[in-house]
Amino acid sequence: MNLLLFIGRRLLFIAPQLLGIVLVSFMLVKSIPGDPAVLMLGPTATPEAIASLRNSLGLDYSLPVQFWIYLQHLALGDLGTSWQTTRPVLEDLLQRFPATLELVTLGLLTAVVIGISLGLASAFNRHGVLARIADFYGLGAGSLPDFWLALVLIFVFYTLLQWVPAPLGRIDIAVIPPNPITGFLTVDCLLTGNWEALRSALGHLLLPVMTLGLINAGPILKMTQSTMEKILQSDFSHYQVLCGIPHRMVVRHALHNALPSVVTIISVLYGYLIGGAVLVEIVFSWGGAGQYAVQGVLNSDLYPVLGFVLFSAIFSLFVYLFVDIIYFTIDPRIGH
Amino acid sequence: MVPQFSALLRSVGHVARVRPRFAIGYGIVVATLLAALLAPLVAPYSPIEANPAQFLQSPDWHHLFGTDAVGMDVFSRTVYAPRIDLTIAIAGTLISAVVGSVIGALVGYYSSGRGVRVWLAYGVMRAADVLQAFPVFVFAIALVASLGQSIQTVVLAIAFVNAPIYLRLMRSQVISIREMRYVEASLVAGLSDMRTIFRHIVPNAIGPVLAQLSVNVGWAILLTAGLSFVGAGVRAPAPEWGSMIAMGFQNVVTGQWWPSVFPGLALAVSVFGFSLVGLSIEVFADPVKRRGLLRDMETARKANGARATRTVAGVGP
Repeated sequence: MNLLLFIGRRLLFIAPQLLGIVLVSFMLVKSIPGDPAVLMLGPTATPEAIASLRNSLGLDYSLPVQFWIYLQHLALGDLGTSWQTTRPVLEDLLQRFPATLELVTLGLLTAVVIGISLGLASAFNRHGVLARIADFYGLGAGSLPDFWLALVLIFVFYTLLQWVPAPLGRIDIAVIPPNPITGFLTVDCLLTGNWEALRSALGHLLLPVMTLGLINAGPILKMTQSTMEKILQSDFSHYQVLCGIPHRMVVRHALHNALPSVVTIISVLYGYLIGGAVLVEIVFSWGGAGQYAVQGVLNSDLYPVLGFVLFSAIFSLFVYLFVDIIYFTIDPRIGH
Repeated sequence: MVPQFSALLRSVGHVARVRPRFAIGYGIVVATLLAALLAPLVAPYSPIEANPAQFLQSPDWHHLFGTDAVGMDVFSRTVYAPRIDLTIAIAGTLISAVVGSVIGALVGYYSSGRGVRVWLAYGVMRAADVLQAFPVFVFAIALVASLGQSIQTVVLAIAFVNAPIYLRLMRSQVISIREMRYVEASLVAGLSDMRTIFRHIVPNAIGPVLAQLSVNVGWAILLTAGLSFVGAGVRAPAPEWGSMIAMGFQNVVTGQWWPSVFPGLALAVSVFGFSLVGLSIEVFADPVKRRGLLRDMETARKANGARATRTVAGVGP
């Protein structure tokens, strides 16, 4: 009951926040110089054609009116049309967002595995070799530009070793992808039993997932390490040790208490990566939502940018909401 | 003055021996700054002049880091790059720190009680929520695109996306400090709110902000490079690490790794240096961590002393 009340209150806050996000991004994107009508029609367009297109796009109205029109369309599920792909933005995004989500989710899972295991191993023995490696890794991982690491991995594993396919998209051009069901290529391959496509898709996923995993393991590692250390030094852990409880149990209880902060950093990374994986997407020609938005900004294509900002904001708001629910189940004290 | 200086030098040496990583960090930062200052002396070639006869030369004695696809010397460009990257990163970080901390201090001070200011403070925090809900990178690109692409706008974009961090940091500090007795004393003594905030609260709350600064310069360098990488930051042929990596992108796939790998390495090392410096400031500013450092220094000195005595007695190694 407590939980439901809490979720209800959170959802109440989400609506004005989303409105604010749409407003700010609308004003920001509108202020990017470049007339969409001119760009859409090309350099040979007549002034009359431009004027009539401007009229039909609603560009002649004042900004508040344009914003109101956009909101009205938004309420009907119309996110506008991209002049680059000449398709509705909603369709484009529904096709591209799963690509980004698949990449980011797998990358983050890799980061969680690396970060938590290294963090736990180094929290036990602060002066061991593993702890030194973990310390260095925690500091170093955050210093690497992800797009550069991606290039280095491509050079080693594609150019030199030829272990992975060329960094061009999500699947080999020669392989026929399965019909989209969920949009996640790997899941679709599994559902349709298309093993050849699955192998190709996994091969293409390997390097970008490794890039994101290696870099984002840093913050998770640091958080696990510092929280575990603090808890293992706390009175209740000392007491458990004094009572003769097995080491494994002490660690398990400590880990349970460390989970909320580790989950927090993971959720923050998840929300951040939806837009933050853009550079990796570009390096691997991933064709994801982030790349779509960046192309939009660089070419004064207004609606894809707005659509992407909206999608990713909603996504991160729901990730945070979900995390709050996880807190409830991990630590009943938070409910009070 | 001179004995004081040598004592300072000696204690710096002690710290460096106990925490070699701090020494490495300061070394890297100083080296990067020196590279920026002395680039014309260090670089053997012009950073923006291409020699089309010598494109994609692999690294050798004439071109330490090789040459890129149009025949520019990669080493010279890598050495010149911190001029642009550091200027942008440091300026952007400083602006965001000043603006963010001032607003954060005011918001923190007026976050409880009654009146219009409390509502204003609440509004500012919700605005910060909205800004932070944006995908950072797309937001920064959009800012640069809307203001027109130049070094100043990249600085502004970096300042804008980082300001909420300082705002929150300062606010949380000020909220706890404003309950202190000395703040009350200052108000009772008749000082205005503003004087109390800037004379008595801010100096006591500034520690975490300073520790954040150095780490943030590192992030700002990464963001600058990322913006240039997609073509929304510094334009080629200006020597900048991110745009150099982007220029060498196609060559990496075909096996000429040097135009991209060297600038990226320089970028990573300098960001690493700034985060180590940030770590050291955090240790110096936190009393608990500082005590740990002093204890380690004491142990190291004792061990050293013991070894020295042993050597004198003729039983040492």
